[in-house]
Amino acid sequence: MTHRSSTRAASLAPLAFALAVLLPDAQAQSATEADLARRLDQLAAELAAVKAQLAELQKQKSAAAAAAPAPMATAPAPAVAAAPPAASEPATVITSYGEINYNRPQHQSQDTQIDMRRFVLGYQHRFDDRTKVVTELEVEHAVSSADDPGEVEVEQAYVERQLNPTVALRAGLFLMPMGLLNENHEPTAFFGVERNFVETAIIPSTWREGGVQFVGNLDNGLTVQGGLSTGFDINKWDATSEEGRESPLGSIHQELALAKGKDHALFGAVNWRGVPGLLLGGGLFSGKASQGQATASSRVTLWDLHARWTPGAWDLSAVYARGTISNTATLNAPLVGSATLIPSSFDGGYLQAGYKLWSHDDLGLLPFVRWERYNTARSYADLGAGLTPDPTAAERVWTAGANFQFGNGLVFKADYQKFKRDRDSDRFDLGLGWSF
Amino acid sequence: MRFEPVALAVVALAPSAAFAVDYLGAEQAAKLLFPDAERFDAREITLDAAQMKQLADAGMRPRSARWQLLLAWRGSQPLGVVVSDAVLGKFELIDYAAGIGNDGALRGVEVLSYRESHGHEIRLPAWRRQFVGKTAASPIKVGDDIANISGATLSCTHVTDGVRRIVAVVELLRRSGALS
Repeated sequence: MTHRSSTRAASLAPLAFALAVLLPDAQAQSATEADLARRLDQLAAELAAVKAQLAELQKQKSAAAAAAPAPMATAPAPAVAAAPPAASEPATVITSYGEINYNRPQHQSQDTQIDMRRFVLGYQHRFDDRTKVVTELEVEHAVSSADDPGEVEVEQAYVERQLNPTVALRAGLFLMPMGLLNENHEPTAFFGVERNFVETAIIPSTWREGGVQFVGNLDNGLTVQGGLSTGFDINKWDATSEEGRESPLGSIHQELALAKGKDHALFGAVNWRGVPGLLLGGGLFSGKASQGQATASSRVTLWDLHARWTPGAWDLSAVYARGTISNTATLNAPLVGSATLIPSSFDGGYLQAGYKLWSHDDLGLLPFVRWERYNTARSYADLGAGLTPDPTAAERVWTAGANFQFGNGLVFKADYQKFKRDRDSDRFDLGLGWSF
Repeated sequence: MRFEPVALAVVALAPSAAFAVDYLGAEQAAKLLFPDAERFDAREITLDAAQMKQLADAGMRPRSARWQLLLAWRGSQPLGVVVSDAVLGKFELIDYAAGIGNDGALRGVEVLSYRESHGHEIRLPAWRRQFVGKTAASPIKVGDDIANISGATLSCTHVTDGVRRIVAVVELLRRSGALS
């Protein structure tokens, strides 16, 4: 703001100078009418000249100060290389996204809720031309205190250094490269009011771990990511809670909050975008989760395959994810009789089609339909007859609705979700989201 | 979109360094776009009020009346024009250049530098090739005649919008005879 004020002050200086010079002169004389008229004409001419000068100055300033400045190109001499006007690029950029959701269960309207689902503030700061830090701080459910349901979380906080034009190294708390949504979870980036079930119940979005990772962007369209990170903590499994049935990995993630670090995990992801509009990829994560504290050593493995194709106005995508937890028979033995035992496998997949039906300027209407099948307890390790829990049947959900974009980074959403098994969950959703 | 006071303060204080990753200089880009050119002449053109209005009526938001162009020549024969530009990706600027032939058709788009953590794929020839042959009569729109890159929607959209603006401006100049 200071800069802008001083810019304006500088721009007005010629006008002030002209008035200062001309006005006292005009007042000092006991001029005749003709004299006055002549002086007025002179003033008008001067003013016009100053106005023109001012307009030119403002034009130059606004061109220089614009976030994305005017196109520039110069002679083919070395000066050309400096043509792109990088001078106005800020080192620190504030970002934010948020979503406010309304859920009305069709058969149980008394459970209707409106929630400030997420409010996220972040920044990206560049230390130099190769190194930056990226952060996101999130508040869920609006108010976080001992008596309120909200949570405050650091969702991302990593430093990235570009080693060469192809490879960057990331260290800190980062999102895991798995599925389509986890790394692109802003409300403007996905269809539907709520995030899909597969990428919340099976892939525990927003899933992050602490560690180091390399990101390679190859010239053949492949993006390769891999690294070493913290993992899950099987000791957090609460057999008396339903949480593990809602999302097995969501209930034992550590989120770098005093995370146990005896065990670590390896992860990798490959994504190919070599054909415009097409993305094919997959991710793999595997790491021990007993952290030296559980009765038996246990390993959590999660993998996914995903595809997205956006030909013309269409937006088609598919994800399949499957997770396993090893040695659950030993881990479950002391928990027999409890509500929620540890599943040995869980999986889910979805198919989704969206279509840009209408657009005008920055408005766009995109109806979509999604079919999901997911099972958070597809199998249990054998504990013996009568003791081994029955695997749960898969839930199937149809979601149909539309995203209405109204401006760059703003979305209003509406959808209806129909559950095959848990029909009490059938609901109508509305959502408002933004991202910048 | 950006937090303006921070942006402006940084503008005031920061040296005019370009951030990595820089792939190409504008001169190299011009040569790639017009490999048959023998020389490039710089020319600055200021759009008049009527031209600015024409652009606005066509749904473009010209950021400046002043445009600096590189005219490509082979002997006395004009081949076309190269315009360098910078648009915002998600967080950072993307530098690119568009080459437009004397027939008003895009020769190509070159990405000079890209700094975002995601979306480097807009550099890939397969994505940039989509622009070749497009004219002011083409939509030049993501989700229409330009396919998106999953995970880099903002970068794709902003570069595409930038190219459409450049094509429209060059078409105006071409018709007014300013490029001959």
